[in-house]
Amino acid sequence: MADLVHVDRAVARRILGGDEAAFRDLFDRFFPRLYRFALARLDGDAETARDIVQQTFCNAIERLDGYRGEAALYTWFCQICRNVLADHFRKRGRGVARVVLLEDQPNARAILEALAAPVSGEPDSEVWRMQVHRVVEATLDALPGNYGDVLEWKYLDGHSVTEIAQRLDVGPKAAESLLTRAREAFRVAIADLTNASDELSGTLGPSPG
Amino acid sequence: MEQESNGHQAKADMVAALIQAAGRRTEPPQDAYRQVLDAAMTALRQKTARRRERSWLIGAVAAGVAGVFIMLLLQQQTGTLQPRVATVVRTFGAVEFSAGDRWKPLAESRSSISAGTGLRTLAGGGAALSLGRRVSLRLASATEVQFDGPQDILLRDGMLYLDNRASLGTGLRIGTPLGTVRDVGTQFEVRVADGLLRLRVREGRVEIDRAGQHLTGEAGEQLEIDVLGGVSRSAISPTDASWAWAETMAPAPDIDGRPATELLAWVARETGRRLRYESPVVEQRAATVILHGNIRHLAPLAALDAMLATTDLEYVLIGDTMEIRARAE
Repeated sequence: MADLVHVDRAVARRILGGDEAAFRDLFDRFFPRLYRFALARLDGDAETARDIVQQTFCNAIERLDGYRGEAALYTWFCQICRNVLADHFRKRGRGVARVVLLEDQPNARAILEALAAPVSGEPDSEVWRMQVHRVVEATLDALPGNYGDVLEWKYLDGHSVTEIAQRLDVGPKAAESLLTRAREAFRVAIADLTNASDELSGTLGPSPG
Repeated sequence: MEQESNGHQAKADMVAALIQAAGRRTEPPQDAYRQVLDAAMTALRQKTARRRERSWLIGAVAAGVAGVFIMLLLQQQTGTLQPRVATVVRTFGAVEFSAGDRWKPLAESRSSISAGTGLRTLAGGGAALSLGRRVSLRLASATEVQFDGPQDILLRDGMLYLDNRASLGTGLRIGTPLGTVRDVGTQFEVRVADGLLRLRVREGRVEIDRAGQHLTGEAGEQLEIDVLGGVSRSAISPTDASWAWAETMAPAPDIDGRPATELLAWVARETGRRLRYESPVVEQRAATVILHGNIRHLAPLAALDAMLATTDLEYVLIGDTMEIRARAE
């Protein structure tokens, strides 16, 4: 992670120096992820999500001089997005957003396990599917670099390792290694999430007696 | 082994099942992408324009002040405006310069040296100078030189080291009371002491002219020429400990935001070693590690220790080779 942050500092410096290509590259990587980040916290209000992300980018550009590389640049953008969302809810008189995401729900493990190994005959639940969609989406977006894209190319688009290598302009071994690391990062992120939800479940469970 | 392989497959299957069950991530609408991009680009251009304006103002003020200061310094030092031939990058201990007959302490680092100026290091002193972007000159303790012109340095006494990283020689001539040394693109040391001219070639090739006699020193060679013209040759390893004085004076490059490969190449050159990577993967890794910070005032190997400590790379010195490896877990 330390190396990634060093790279992010260099990217920030290039952008501040007026390198528009570097900014376009960052925008293309961050915009879809921040849009989904905001949308998940706005009950699917697409128009407001767009405005929130726009404000996030404007605020981030204004404060980019102050980015010191303590965290990855995407994490730093997410924090700004959270602040913009908090301002939005405050102005609407809703106070701090009370959005309960699947990743905060105590039954996350059950949902994930059920979908990872579906039981035949179980009724298809659209609500569950949507919840899993959101948690997997959030997990893929939170993975570093292009891990999320690589996993989608492999498991949704059905690309072979060779095709992924061509797409990334790297050798097949490098692509295979990247895919392995992406899978592991995803698995760990999901495991962390479900462990956290178990703890939450314990905390929120009915008190004895 | 089979169980382990099955375990990996099961994990991969779980990841695949989850991602396929969740389906594709939501794509933002194109019009939202365009609207936000336009707004962000406008914000970025305004921001960079403000920064440029501020930098330009600061730069203009600084340049004005520096210009006046340099003019005053040149007039004070030489009385005339001579062409600049070298820049003092770093000094150690007492260093003096002369313009005319008087020697004065050189108080400031990064002073410009013009043609006709003498420079001397006192006992325990030293100086590193830049003779252009890729040529570094270092003066050992108790050394006196005179800069006669852009191509001519007179070494009156003591020892100097020249590192010329340009692909072709600079054509720089180092005159001594015992002959003239001509640089043809290399690293070498020249010493004049006790009626003896000593030339040590660390890398590349150096030519010496002495009273019509033409000699060539190759990498790894030491030549000693006495006042009667007697020449003796011996071997000197590029990693010999006697090069250490020049290494400690090496002006450190600016490595902030640069890939680790640049630092590694610099350290290898400054320590007279060949750079080798354990594998193409390690070399690729080194190219992607971006360094942060500065290594000013650190000797090459100390700088390498400091910077690699924050990465997953390490180095091993094997004879005249510096091998870069992935750090063992």
